Amino acid sequence: MTDAAVSRIRNFSIIAHIDHGKSTLADRLLQSTGTVSDREMKEQFLDSMDLERERGITIKLQAARMNYVSEDGETYVLNLIDTPGHVDFSYEVSRSLAACEGALLVVDASQGVEAQTLANVYLALEHDLEIIPVLNKIDLPGAEPERVKREIEDIIGLDCSNAILASAKEGLGIPEILESIVHLVPSPEDTIEKPLRALIFDSYYDPYRGVIVYFRVMDGQLNKGDRVKLMASGKEYDIDELGVLSPTQVVVDSLHAGEVGYLSASIKAVEDARVGDTITLAKGSAPSPLPGYTEIKPMVFCGLFPSDSEQFEDLREALDKLRLNDAALQYEPETSSAMGFGFRCGFLGLLHMEIVQERLEREYNLDLITTAPSVIYRVTKLDGEVVLIDNPSNLPDPQNRERIEEPYVQVDMIVPEEFVGPLMELSQTRRGDFKDMKYLAQGRTTLTYELPLAEVVSDFFDQMKSRSRGYASMEYQLIGYRENPLVKLDILINGDPVDPLATIVHRDKAYYVGKALVERLKELIPRHQFKIPVQASIGSRVVASEHIPALRKDVLAKCYGGDISRKKKLLQKQAKGKKRLKAIGTVDVPQEAFMAVLKLQ
Amino acid sequence: MAEANAPSFIDRAAALSQPRNKAVAQLMDSGDVSGDVSIAPSVQGSDRFPAPDAAYVHIPFCRRRCFYCDFPISVVGDTRRGENSGAIAQYVTQLCTEIRRTPNLGTPLQTIFFGGGTPSLLAVEQLETVLTVLKQQFGLAANAEISMEMDPGTFDLAHVQGYHACGVNRISLGVQAFQAELLQACGRTHQPDDIPIAVEQVRRAGIDNLSLDLISGLPHQTLEQWTFSLEQAIALTPQHLSVYDLIVEPGTAFARRYKPGDKPLPSDTLTAEMYRLAQQTLSTAGFQHYEISNYAKPGYGCRHNLRYWENRAYYGFGMGAASYMQGQRFSRPRTRREYFEWLEAGMPMDDPVATEGDRLLDRLILGLRLANGLSLTTLEQEFGHDTVAQILTTLKPYEERGWVACQLNQHLRLSDPDGFLFSNTILAALFEQFSDD
Repeated sequence: MTDAAVSRIRNFSIIAHIDHGKSTLADRLLQSTGTVSDREMKEQFLDSMDLERERGITIKLQAARMNYVSEDGETYVLNLIDTPGHVDFSYEVSRSLAACEGALLVVDASQGVEAQTLANVYLALEHDLEIIPVLNKIDLPGAEPERVKREIEDIIGLDCSNAILASAKEGLGIPEILESIVHLVPSPEDTIEKPLRALIFDSYYDPYRGVIVYFRVMDGQLNKGDRVKLMASGKEYDIDELGVLSPTQVVVDSLHAGEVGYLSASIKAVEDARVGDTITLAKGSAPSPLPGYTEIKPMVFCGLFPSDSEQFEDLREALDKLRLNDAALQYEPETSSAMGFGFRCGFLGLLHMEIVQERLEREYNLDLITTAPSVIYRVTKLDGEVVLIDNPSNLPDPQNRERIEEPYVQVDMIVPEEFVGPLMELSQTRRGDFKDMKYLAQGRTTLTYELPLAEVVSDFFDQMKSRSRGYASMEYQLIGYRENPLVKLDILINGDPVDPLATIVHRDKAYYVGKALVERLKELIPRHQFKIPVQASIGSRVVASEHIPALRKDVLAKCYGGDISRKKKLLQKQAKGKKRLKAIGTVDVPQEAFMAVLKLQ
Repeated sequence: MAEANAPSFIDRAAALSQPRNKAVAQLMDSGDVSGDVSIAPSVQGSDRFPAPDAAYVHIPFCRRRCFYCDFPISVVGDTRRGENSGAIAQYVTQLCTEIRRTPNLGTPLQTIFFGGGTPSLLAVEQLETVLTVLKQQFGLAANAEISMEMDPGTFDLAHVQGYHACGVNRISLGVQAFQAELLQACGRTHQPDDIPIAVEQVRRAGIDNLSLDLISGLPHQTLEQWTFSLEQAIALTPQHLSVYDLIVEPGTAFARRYKPGDKPLPSDTLTAEMYRLAQQTLSTAGFQHYEISNYAKPGYGCRHNLRYWENRAYYGFGMGAASYMQGQRFSRPRTRREYFEWLEAGMPMDDPVATEGDRLLDRLILGLRLANGLSLTTLEQEFGHDTVAQILTTLKPYEERGWVACQLNQHLRLSDPDGFLFSNTILAALFEQFSDD
C-alpha cells in the first residue's frame, strides 16, 4: 500500500435513496480505479451480506480504499465509506458521515429527491461535508436531469450547475465523478502530531479474530502493536492486526490522520467497540473523545418464542451470537403463560427487527413465533412511580395507573401531489397531528406529521407505499412522549386470555381494532373439532366476538390405483403444518396470528 | 358398528389368496446366479417382499375430461373407441411391451384391474390381447378376479359380452350421480337414463359382480339429491358401491371455478352429513362398510383393492400406473409421450426402496382405511414392540374421542363414521411422529 500524504487523501461517502444506484456506482468506482478487477467483480461488492444482496439494500456499511491517478498526474487515495440506506440505522449513517469530508449525492434522474435522501443530506450538511450532486440513470428514457436539478436546488438549496450526469450502469460520468472527488472534496486536516483519536464507524464480529473495527483516524497516528484504549467503554487492547480495505483487508504497519482502516485486537463483542466510540492510545491518551457518541437505544420491541419449546436454549445461543455482531440488539428472557419461554427483544426499527428474525430462522434454523411489535410506554402509577413498559401484557391495571404516555415521532414524507390526499387520510387514521405541508417543485410535496410511534411501527410504511403506488418516501425521528387515553386490549381464544396477542390501543380505536382483530383471527386460526370463541376485551368488557365453527371432517378418501404417493405428500404437509402451530390450551394457533394486529384493514 | 362381526368377506378374500407363496418367489432367472452364498440375501429379500399376485392396468383414454378429474388420462373425443382410434391401438401395443418386459416374480395373478380413464373404450380384441399377454407373462389363477371400469354410454351389449368372454368377471360402473344437472355440472358424458341401460347390459352379458361409483359433495348438490342417488343405486342391486367425497384437486376445472368450503360447493358440515347418511343407508340395505369409501355385500369386497389396503405387492402397467414390487413403490410417467420414452429407455425405476419409516406409514395409511384396521400383532412382528407402543401413545387422544379403537393384541382401526371422517387428522399425527422428513 502506498503511503499517503494527508493532502492527497479524500474521504467520501455516497448518499442515495434505495434503488437510485448507490451500489452500482460504488462498483464502477472500484473497477475504474483498478481496485477490483473485472474478473473479481461480483455484483455490488460492498453489500456483503446475502440478505442485503437479496433486498438490494445496504444494512451494514463497509469501506473501500482506492488509489486513483488523477489528470494532474498525482496519485490520490480515495476512501469510500459506505452508509446503510435505512432510517433504522441513521445513527450509524451519522458516524460514517462524520468520518468523511465529502459526499456524492446520487439522485435518480428519472425520479427525484426522496425523503430519506433529504434526511441524509441534512446530516451531511451538519457535518460540513462538501456535497457533489450526481444525477444517475441518465440513460433511462424517462430521465429528466433538468427537472431533478431544479428540484435539488429548490429543496436542498444546493447549486446544481456543475452536477454530474452519470449512468453507473453504463459507466457514464465515472471519470468526472473521480475528478470531482479529487478537486472538490477537501483533504483531511493534517493533525498527525496530535494525540491519536480515531472514530469507529463500523465493527463486526469475526469468529476467528474477534471484533474487526472499522475506523477513520482523525488525529495522530496508529501503529501495529500499539496498546489502544476505547474512550467510551474505557477498555484497553493490544492491536493484533492493522490494515486497510481495498476492499478486501490488506495488512499495513501504521495509519495516520486522514486514513481509513480496520484493526483487530481480540475484542470479544461489538458492544465493546461501539460505533461512535473514539480509539486513542493507552499511553498518551487524547484529552477528550471525538464528539457525537451516543449509545443507541432500541425503539421497537417484540416477543420471540421458539415454536418448539425445546429450542429455547438454541434461541438463546443464537441471540448471544448475533449480539456479538449487533450492539443495538437487546433481549431478556420472557415467560408467557400461552407461549412458554422466549425473549423480549428490542430493535432499532422494523427493518432491524425483520432482519434479526430472518437471520435467526435462516442462519440458526429456528422456528420462531414473533409477537406484534410494541413500543416503550411510560406509565405513571398512582403512587407516582414511573415504569417503562415494553410488553403490553405487563401494563399495570387501570386502577393502579394515573396516566400512560407513548413515544411520538415526526414523520416527513415526500410525495407526488396526487397522493397527498390519501397520505393525509392515512396519517389522520393513525392519530397523526398535521404539522406542515410544503410544495416543492414539479408537483411534489413534503408532508410533515407527528405520529405515535406505535402507529408507525405497524404497517404504516407499507400503507404509505401502497397508497402512493410506491412513489412516496418517508423518514422519522423521535420527538418525545405524550399522554394519551390508552387501554389494553386483550384477546381471548376459547375463553383464555392470550397475552402475546394483547395490544395497547387508543380508547377511541379499541372497538374497531378489537373487531378487525377477532375477524382476522377467525380467518387465521384453523378450524378444530370444537367451536372456538374468539373475543376482544378491555378489562372484563367484551368489545368484539366471533367464533370459529367446528370442523366436521378431515378426510381425503380417494386412493386411486393403489397410488399413495400424493396422499403421503399431503399428509406430510399437514403434519409439518401442524408442527408450525402453537398450542394455546387446546387450540392450535398459527404463527401469522401473532402478527395479525399489523394486518388490519 | 358391532365389533364382533368381523366382515366375512375379508376372511374370504384372505382365504382366496392362500397360500401366500413364500417359497416360490424366485427373484431372478436362476441361470445367472451361481450357487455360492451370494444367493442367500436375495432369497431373504424375496421372503421379505412377497411376489405380486395382482396387476393394475391403466387405460387412460376418455371421451372428455371430467371437471373433477386429475388422473393421467388422454382425451379422444366423443366418436372414438378402440376400434377406430390409432392412439388407442398404439397404446395397447406399448402396454403389451411393458408387460412382456416385466420379470415374472413367481406367482400367478389372483386379480387384474383395468382402471382408467375409461377402459370400456377398448375394443374387445384389444382387451383380449392385453389379458393374453398378462396370462403368458405371469399366469392366471383359476378363480382370479378380473375387474374393469366402465362408463355408462361408452359401450353396448356386444362389448360387455366380449369382455366377459375374455375373462372379465367384475364391472365397476362410473355412475357418480343420478341427476342430469349434477352429471352435467361435473362434465360427465352420460345421462341418468344411460345408467339402468348399462347395468342391464352388464347383467345380460352374464357378469353378476357389479360395483357402482358415486360422488358426494358435488357443486350445488343437496342432501335430498344425495338421498335419491343412494336409493337409486340400491335399487339397481349392485354387489359393491364406491362412495367418494369430492376432492377439489389442484389443476382441475373445479379448482379453477370453486374454492373448497365456498358455495356452490356444499359445506363440510353437509358433506360430513352425506358421508354419515351413506353409511346408515347402505348399512341398512345390507352393505358392509368395509373400507373408508367402499361398501360391499358380504363376500364381495374388491379382492384387488384389498391388496392395496393390506399393503401387498402388485404390478402396475401403463402410463401413470403405480406398482409396488420388491418393497419399491413406483409411479410411471403421467403422459403418453413420457411413458413411451420411459419404455424406450428400458423402464428405469429409480424410486428409492422404502425406508422402515416409510413402510410403517404406508401400512398405517392403507390399513386404517379398512373397517377391520390392521393387526397389532403383525405390526409388532414387523416393526417391533416399541414402535407399536409409540403408535398407541400417539393415538391415545383420538381413542379417547372414540375415533380409534385398539385393544391389546387385536386390530387397530378407525371408528365408523367418526374416525373415518377425521382420518387425516389421525394420520397426520402419526406422520408427525414417524416421518423421516
